[in-house]
Amino acid sequence: MYDKTVRRRRVVLALLVVLSLILLTAYFGEASGGRLHSVQRGFLTVVSPIQDGANKALKPVRDMFGWLGDTLHAKSQNAQLRKQIATLRREVVAERVDQQSYHQLLSVFHFDNQLSVADYRPVTATVVGKTPNIWYSTVTIDKGTAAGVRVDDPVINGEGLVGRVTLAASDGAQVSLITDSTMGVSARIGSSTATGIVQPKVGDPNDLLLSYLPVGTVAPKGEYVYTSGTVASPDESLYPRGIPIGQVTSTEEESAYESVNVRPLANLRNLDVVQVLTAATGSQPARLSSLVSSLPAGGRSSTETGIAGQLASTGAG
Amino acid sequence: MSGQGVSGSLLARIAALSLIVVFFQTGVVSEVPVFGVTVDLSPLLVAFVGLLCGSMVGAVSGFAVGLLVDLALVQTLGLTSLVFTLVGYWCGRLRELRDPQAALTPLLVGAAATSSSLVGYSLMEFMLGVDAPVSLELLRQIVLGVLVNVIVALPMWMLVRRSLIGGLPDDPRRRRRRAYTTGGLSPLSRT
Repeated sequence: MYDKTVRRRRVVLALLVVLSLILLTAYFGEASGGRLHSVQRGFLTVVSPIQDGANKALKPVRDMFGWLGDTLHAKSQNAQLRKQIATLRREVVAERVDQQSYHQLLSVFHFDNQLSVADYRPVTATVVGKTPNIWYSTVTIDKGTAAGVRVDDPVINGEGLVGRVTLAASDGAQVSLITDSTMGVSARIGSSTATGIVQPKVGDPNDLLLSYLPVGTVAPKGEYVYTSGTVASPDESLYPRGIPIGQVTSTEEESAYESVNVRPLANLRNLDVVQVLTAATGSQPARLSSLVSSLPAGGRSSTETGIAGQLASTGAG
Repeated sequence: MSGQGVSGSLLARIAALSLIVVFFQTGVVSEVPVFGVTVDLSPLLVAFVGLLCGSMVGAVSGFAVGLLVDLALVQTLGLTSLVFTLVGYWCGRLRELRDPQAALTPLLVGAAATSSSLVGYSLMEFMLGVDAPVSLELLRQIVLGVLVNVIVALPMWMLVRRSLIGGLPDDPRRRRRRAYTTGGLSPLSRT
């Protein structure tokens, strides 16, 4: 009797371990349109409305904890923000003058067809789920293909860039945050023309690193980092130009390139409402995205970056 | 109990509890950072189910909860299942071999289950080639993750115990009384 129980217990454990390994291997080996991924999308479609309902019902609980945390940080943030407002006020005045001149110059040189947030159709979505571990930086939102959300659509909130859609079901979608290890966003610092790629900092999943900048790029502490409106490889999603990503915290010198540490502007730990920048079929963003994805695959060579970047940012083609 | 005395009522209770905990985890708990990390209720659930119901039920519920987590969070299928299967099994074996009755048991088991799942998960991710090498930050996150889970281990233990106790064929309270009167010897539960 004892032997039988022991044998059965061991067989069950072995079966479960083997089943997990089979699932793991099959999932890792198949393409994103494979059977297991479809099951996951189906599950997301089914549970998304439930998660949405639960999320709305439990919002007061979440807000209460959020309020406690915010209150603790409010005092120190207050003084810091007051200083920032004073600086920004001065900058806004100067920027407005520059902006006016810039637009005049753009129209003179017929370069005013650059991709911007205004070219997209924003879809507001609520975050209904979030990964609890540090390995995946993803959130689940309550809007999917039924609302026009597609894979690779950029996702923003009031503070800046949040990430991009990596999986879309009919009533829900998965968004990979900019801190996810699979992400890479072409970006530039403030008024600088040099572009680099913003990726999560290795070993510090809550921080970002703007890499591949030419040596000598000026990156003052506190300077804002924006999307460049270009792509460095066909795998990368095309983000409209000028979405704020973060602020420079420090600079790192590497052998051939310069890297800059960037603190994300969006509070990725407390995401509640986000906007997915969707594009209607045939619109300029949709045409540019398909153009970018049709470019030949390859590394991040400067030539390709230049060509893809030029095509994407000028709207040519 | 290592599987042979599992009633339908117990399985239904475990299934309902798993669904509630996973949805509560993804929808609410994951949105509330504590010391820069979030509480992860799922390893605690698996560990406590194993601790109450034995190794076989622990392993099966670990597999099911892991699968549910992977599906709900759109993660690599099978990864969390594998880690949680082992966590559930080990906690079940602990109950079968040692039958710990100390008041601090849930805290220690919770800490061990959380650290095992975090380390196991990290190892699996390294093997799958995710680009996040060992660093102080990762270590800090694991340590803080274990600490915040220890904080919620006791309430979670009470919740799991209260939810499953009606479905358990040998009520832990009765076992404890029996262990007390027989001087800790309980050969029937040593399967």
